[in-house]
Amino acid sequence: MSNSPAPKPRKMFFREAIASAVRAAMLEDPTVLVMGQDVGSFGGSYREFDGLYREFGADRVRDMPVAENATIGIGAGAAAAGFRPLVCITYMDFLMLGFDPLINYAAKLRYKTAGALTAPLVVKTTAGAQGQGVAHSQCLDAWLMSVPGIVVAAPSNPQDAFSLMAQALRHDGPVVYIDHKRLFPSPGEVSVDAGLQPFGVAAVRRRGEDVTIISHSYMVQVALKAAARLAEAGISCEVIDLRTLAPLDVDTIEASLRRTGRLVTLEEGQTTCGVGAEVMAQVFSRMGPRPFVRIGALPAPVSSNPVYEALCIPDPERICDAVTALLKNAPPA
Amino acid sequence: MTPLDPFDRLRALRSMMQIRAFETALAKRKDHGFQLLSSGEEAVAVGLSMVLRADDDLLTGGRSIGPALARGVDPGALMAELLGRAAGLNGGRAGRGHLSDPRSGFFGAHAVVGGNISVAAGVALARKLSLSEAVVVIMFGDGACGQGVLHETLNIAANWRLPLLFLCNNNGLSVSTPWDAAMATPRLSDLGATFGMPATTIDGLDVELVASTAGEAIAAIRKGGGPAFIEAKSIRLRSHSTTARETRTREALAELETHCPISALAARMKLSPDEIAELQRTVDGAVDAAERFAEASGYPEPGDVLTHVQ
Repeated sequence: MSNSPAPKPRKMFFREAIASAVRAAMLEDPTVLVMGQDVGSFGGSYREFDGLYREFGADRVRDMPVAENATIGIGAGAAAAGFRPLVCITYMDFLMLGFDPLINYAAKLRYKTAGALTAPLVVKTTAGAQGQGVAHSQCLDAWLMSVPGIVVAAPSNPQDAFSLMAQALRHDGPVVYIDHKRLFPSPGEVSVDAGLQPFGVAAVRRRGEDVTIISHSYMVQVALKAAARLAEAGISCEVIDLRTLAPLDVDTIEASLRRTGRLVTLEEGQTTCGVGAEVMAQVFSRMGPRPFVRIGALPAPVSSNPVYEALCIPDPERICDAVTALLKNAPPA
Repeated sequence: MTPLDPFDRLRALRSMMQIRAFETALAKRKDHGFQLLSSGEEAVAVGLSMVLRADDDLLTGGRSIGPALARGVDPGALMAELLGRAAGLNGGRAGRGHLSDPRSGFFGAHAVVGGNISVAAGVALARKLSLSEAVVVIMFGDGACGQGVLHETLNIAANWRLPLLFLCNNNGLSVSTPWDAAMATPRLSDLGATFGMPATTIDGLDVELVASTAGEAIAAIRKGGGPAFIEAKSIRLRSHSTTARETRTREALAELETHCPISALAARMKLSPDEIAELQRTVDGAVDAAERFAEASGYPEPGDVLTHVQ
């Protein structure tokens, strides 16, 4: 073991952690490119590419026209031909426009060429509701989990924003990296020397005894707020951050659930065929069912209307109510 | 137009006859699911391939067998792939819609209509950023011309001056829909002209004209002139696929046969019936060998179904 002191973490915003990870990868590997709308001198819609255009120039940081389908296709083709493009799709709602090259081409390239070609492509896109209306707010994360060949990463804090991006840009297959509008301005300690974050490893964000709450992305922050409130009422919640939805770390969830005996799945997207439904199917098939509740958006489009948006999206109050009801229905033995 | 020299004419004829013989043999088999054949369209793929360099890349839509053979993909490995055998180009996993053999300059097919157009632009971007002089060619049909991604990619390729040739093989029909019923533009090459690139419509039944036109376009692209668009008008002598029903009358098909690009070149070369028969024996022999190679291989191992997924 080395006796040298651990590198000092730096405080940075979530958006800065992304830029920092992309910059490090670009310095290390000349094949890393950034492509997307407004990623150039504008620095990205959320300034998550700040400074990259100035440092690396227009050949490697490429502003794209509004053409998501061709943008992902060009990224996939460049990836197949030896580059490592990071394609930025401003909002996840627009990812649908590029599903053909992502799902029909990039996700299948390694398989259909029997390993001769791969598409080391990172598609970074922004999910979540923040007043922008029915076609700029969706969390379609669960759709992607069912596509063989794609990694789906969804960091919840600046350290993971850095480490998962660093890992994604070194991975030899397509990665969809989902960030969140409400996370960009959140600060945190980031150790840029912490090494890569392997995919498929969840993190326990809070230890607890009574119930396991699994979540990802921004909803982890909401879960932690709810857990703090519930603690005041004497309810002890364990909060697990999935970090990657595919691959899914079922081991960590199972170990937690064997102790707590109750499962809450929390996501900002729809619960029907959602992340929680899949987590439950996988973990219950290993250990048998446990009392559960799943929480997600109400089954309606997420409006920009402030009343409706707030109603649709899970908040600490809804989580507290659901956990309290779960404990009432399934009290400790 | 610059005609091919006698040696290249013979090469072109043999290559077109090879494709026709290969596809005819394949169509007779029942053990391949279904296939998209290119009878009547051979001059487009062969004319193009006459002027490509080894380091150039060809990408296609799903109608890929003729272009792959024209580019020099091994017929045995190709037949094995189409029959799903382990000795196939891609271990039998790709099939006709997704063939690839990058080492032969055939970067690959992608069977979603229009889907490979943007991918080809990505390959062209990679070549340009690597300061290579390679040119990338995307072959697609008239059916792909209605796809938004073609228009998106034309714009970006022109804007970035990518080393990319858009080669539209207009065989006249998108499954059953005549091209001019689907498209508002009077010439499909007008789509390229809109974005300011050199664009032309030619007779795609004349292999020498295809070679000469593609050769000039590729030379200009190689010099850094940016992308170009060629519409080559061909004919489809068979139905859309080996399992699709034919929508045209026998009379109409018989009339189309009189425009066969292979017969046209053979007539221009004034070959005797004996010379043609000798060529036919050569290409048939190669197809027999390809079928024997494929049949000697088994299907892939069931235990490998999950390999190369991630």
